[in-house]
Amino acid sequence: MSNTLKIAALTIGYNKKSILTNIDIISQKNQLISVFGRNGKGKSTLLKTLSGMLPAITGHFIFNGVDVFNLSEKEKSKLISIVSTTKTDIAGIKVSDFVAFGRYPYTNWLGINKKEDDAEINNAIYLCNIENLCNKDYSELSDGEKQKVNIARAIAQNTPLIILDEPTVHLDLINNIEVLKLLKKLVENHAKTIIFSTHQIEYALQICDEIWLINNDIIATYSPVELINKEKLKELFDDDTISFDKVTGTFKIR
Amino acid sequence: MKSTIFNKIPYLALFLISGAVLFFGMDLFLGSVTIPFKSIINIILGDVNEKESWRIIILEARFPKTIAALLCGAALSVSGLQMQTLFRNPLAGPYILGISSGAGLGVAIFIMGLSFIGISTSDLSIATNSGIVISSILGSFTVLAILLALINRIKDIMTILILGVMIGSIITAIIGIIQYFSQDVQLKSFIMWTMGDLSAVTSNELLILTPIVFVGLIGSFIISKNLNAYLLGEEYAKSLGVNLKRARIIIILITSILTGSITAYCGPIGFIGIVIPHLARMLSNSSDHRILIPLSILLGINVLLIADIISQLPVLEQTLPINSITSLIGIPFIIWIILKNKKITNLN
Repeated sequence: MSNTLKIAALTIGYNKKSILTNIDIISQKNQLISVFGRNGKGKSTLLKTLSGMLPAITGHFIFNGVDVFNLSEKEKSKLISIVSTTKTDIAGIKVSDFVAFGRYPYTNWLGINKKEDDAEINNAIYLCNIENLCNKDYSELSDGEKQKVNIARAIAQNTPLIILDEPTVHLDLINNIEVLKLLKKLVENHAKTIIFSTHQIEYALQICDEIWLINNDIIATYSPVELINKEKLKELFDDDTISFDKVTGTFKIR
Repeated sequence: MKSTIFNKIPYLALFLISGAVLFFGMDLFLGSVTIPFKSIINIILGDVNEKESWRIIILEARFPKTIAALLCGAALSVSGLQMQTLFRNPLAGPYILGISSGAGLGVAIFIMGLSFIGISTSDLSIATNSGIVISSILGSFTVLAILLALINRIKDIMTILILGVMIGSIITAIIGIIQYFSQDVQLKSFIMWTMGDLSAVTSNELLILTPIVFVGLIGSFIISKNLNAYLLGEEYAKSLGVNLKRARIIIILITSILTGSITAYCGPIGFIGIVIPHLARMLSNSSDHRILIPLSILLGINVLLIADIISQLPVLEQTLPINSITSLIGIPFIIWIILKNKKITNLN
C-alpha cells in the first residue's frame, strides 16, 4: 500500500468549475513522472491541487498511505515540497539563506538552524551545483539561476514528494538538461518521487519513468515506450502536417 | 556560514541606541523653560528637592511626551513593516488599509456626534479623553473586522489591499460629511486630534499604552519566522507549512492593536509606518524580520524623537503639529524611494 501513489475520483478546477473530472490514477512511488498536455488543459491545476495549493472539488490523493488532502499545512510541508511558476521577487536575502527557507518546517519559532539543518542545506546546494552563487543576493540572479536555487530550497525541505510546475521553462539548453538530470538523480539516488509538468515531451520520453498525458479532458498514464508505440502523441494534433517519429522520438513538421 | 550582514548589525544597533539616548535627553531638555540637565535627571530619578515648577514641567509634560514619542515610533514602524510584508507592497501601511481612518471615524462620531444629542465636548475633560480612546480603538477594530471578513472570502491579497484603500476613502468621505454638519467647536477639537499630539498623553495613560505596545512588539517578533516565510509569497509560505489564514489574522491583529492604541492616544501620525521599514531594509541590506523588527523599532524611536524635537524648537513661538513634521520628513523620502526604484514591487 505504502509503495503506491493513488489518485481516486479526483475532480479539479477553480470555483466549482471543473477542468478535469473523475481522475483515477494508480502509480508507484520513487518514480520520475511528467505531466504533459496542451496549454489550458489542466496541468498546472492538477499539480496545484495535488500539492494542496488549490482545494480539490472532490476526490482523494493517497501518498505514503495518507490522504494528502486531509493533512494540515504543517504535516503537508514535511511530505510535499513545490517549485511553482510564480516568480519570487525578493531582495536583501543571500542565496544560502534562501535555500535555508526549505528548513522552515523543521526549525524552532525563531528559525535557528541546527546542525542537521545546515547539513541538509549544504547537501541541497551541492546537489544543485550552486556553490558559486551562495554569497550572492537572490535578486542579482538570472532566471535560470533563480530556478536552480528554488529547486535547492525544495530539496532542503527534504520531502519524499517534490512537485514542480514547468521547472525548465526559463532555462537555456544546458541548464535545462542539468535540471532534468538532477531530477532523475534525486529519484534514483535519493528515493524521491517527483511529479513535474513540461512541454518538452522529447526530453520527458528519454528520462521519465511515467508520463501522465492529458488529452480530450481525460488523463491517462503511460510508460514512455507505451506512449510511443500506441501513437498517443499523434492524437494531440488534429493536423496532418505534424507527425511523431517513433525511431528518433521527435516531432517532424512536414 | 555567517553572512556579512550580521557583522554590520551590532554596530548599527549600537549607533541607533546611542542616538536614541541622545535624542531622548535632548527632547527632555529642549523647551520654552530651560532646566539644567542635572536637575532633569534628578527629577526623573525621584528627587523631590528640585524646584516644584520644574518637577511639574518634566514629570507631567516633557517626560510623558518623550515616552509617547518612543512608543509611537516603535509601534507605527513595526505596524508598517508587517503590513508591507503581508501585502507584499512597499507602500502598504496601517493608513492604506484604512485602520487609521477607522480610528478617525470613531473619534469623529464621538466628538461631533455628541453635540447632536446636546452634550458639549468643547472642554477636554477626562470623560471626553477616554471617550476618544475607546471610540478610536472601536473604529480601528471595526475596519479590522471588515477586512478579516473580506480576507476569508477573497484569496488575492492585492484585492484586499485595494479594498483597504476603498474603505479608507469611504470613511474619509463619511468623516467629511460629519464635519460639514458639525459646529465650529467640535470641528476644531477633531481637527486638533487629526493633527496628532504627543503631549495629549498623560502619565496615567502611559501606564495603559506602554504594556499594550510592548505586547504588540513582542508578538511581532515572535511571528518573525512567519513574516519571513511571507516574503516568498503566499503559495510558497503555505508549502512551507504556514497556516495562511491564521498567520494573516495574527499579523493584522497585532498591527491593529499597535496602530489603534497609538492612534487613540496620539492621533494619526503619518508616514512613519511606510518610511521606517524601508530605511531599516536599506541600512541592513536584509529582509530578515528577526533583524528588521528590532531595527525598525530603534529607527522609529530615533526619527520620532527628532520629529518631536523639531516640532518644539526654541526658535518657534508655538509647538508645531507632529503629523506635519513626520509628513514633511516622510513624503520626500517616499518620493525618493519611488524614483530610485522604478520596479517598486521588487522592494520587499
